[in-house]
Amino acid sequence: MKSLDPRVTRLPEMESTKAKKPLDQFGTFEVFVQAKEGKPFQHEGAVHAPNLEMAYVLAKETFTRRFTCTSIYVADTCDIFVSPTTEGNQSAYELIQSENSNFSKKTFEIYQLAKRGKQHVNVGTVEAGAPTEAMFLAKDLFGTGKIIYNVWAIDKSKIRFTSDEEKDLWLTLPEKKFRDASDYKGGDKLKEFLERPKQ
Amino acid sequence: MNTEALKELLYKMADDLLIFGHRNSEWTGLGPLLEEDIAFSSMAQDKIGQSHALYQLLATLGEPEPDAAAFTRSANQFHNCQLVELPNGEYDFSLIRHFLFDTADALRWQLLTQSSYEPLSLLAKKIKGELHYHTLHANTWIKQLGSATEESISRLQNSLAYTLPYALGIFEESPNEGEIIHSKIFLGEQALKTKWIVKIEEVISQTQLHLPNLATIAPAYGGRTGKHTEHLQPLLDEMSEVFKIDPTAEW
Repeated sequence: MKSLDPRVTRLPEMESTKAKKPLDQFGTFEVFVQAKEGKPFQHEGAVHAPNLEMAYVLAKETFTRRFTCTSIYVADTCDIFVSPTTEGNQSAYELIQSENSNFSKKTFEIYQLAKRGKQHVNVGTVEAGAPTEAMFLAKDLFGTGKIIYNVWAIDKSKIRFTSDEEKDLWLTLPEKKFRDASDYKGGDKLKEFLERPKQ
Repeated sequence: MNTEALKELLYKMADDLLIFGHRNSEWTGLGPLLEEDIAFSSMAQDKIGQSHALYQLLATLGEPEPDAAAFTRSANQFHNCQLVELPNGEYDFSLIRHFLFDTADALRWQLLTQSSYEPLSLLAKKIKGELHYHTLHANTWIKQLGSATEESISRLQNSLAYTLPYALGIFEESPNEGEIIHSKIFLGEQALKTKWIVKIEEVISQTQLHLPNLATIAPAYGGRTGKHTEHLQPLLDEMSEVFKIDPTAEW
């Protein structure tokens, strides 16, 4: 753009026809954490990693550094199938159309979002030929009649689980109180400092 | 049981873990990925926690309390191998050191689960999950970068060549070696080294890296008897800075 105004010419020429550079970041992987034995796995967030195995290794400290936990697993974000989302006026299950696929049956892990602002929680598995079919079948199995805002399905074979022999990874975690900010009692120390007798 | 021999073993292990933990903590805030920064910092905390547990055992044997043991000795009183005191350099070196040291360390603790000195065997069983993560982390990175790009492979290969003499220094034998083995406290440095070679070969064979002939490499000995590189004293000065200003400081 030609202009005498320096506020215009300081900007670089638009290169809209050029292809964008690929992102110089790794892809993302979703992390699920089990807080206690017997409790369902819950989605906690994502990590960047070059592959599934590295994602598992990095997720362990990123998401289970502080609070006690018994197990984690990870899946590539691209392998998470997401249902339509509702605003709470109806259940997401009502927006999933019946679909009979001819593909051979696989096991899908199903997750439900029960409230906006909460995390997706695992409710169980279904056998289906495709993710949409899995979600449709999940309605009868796990749809309790309550409003569900959103449903996820993941092909179980795409998940990097914690093996039985890896369960020892969190053995000493409950002792690491020094990782918890509240253990430093910062407020108490500040109060003590402010209330100390002036010298 | 020969207490002097036991103390020597505990000191060299505790010093290895304290110095290595401190070096790894220097990556905090500078790691190549946020997630990796957190992982490396967590492992540094684990190492320092493990060294603390060993200094506590030493205190029960009449040695100074953990803080005094960590912060009041000078470099020539430390028994860590030279490997752990080397400056961090670039991440390829830090990863190779992490892999070579933690493979040996996890095997050492695994052998110590059978130690005749019960406090040590109990500690070994307690921390096995931490060591499991440290080796999983190291092996995964080495397999990843050891087969990734020309640059990552050549960087790791160069670091491996530089680091191996120091890594062999881990296994420097003590004059009490026979006593330690005889009283079944520990199987000994030679036995550990043999197991270590098998493990590192197993991981490296899954990459495009090449393990040089270890028999032709002169180990960097001296650390176990207090002979250190010029890098240890500055590390100790920095680590003990707060303690030297105020020994009663609390966090």
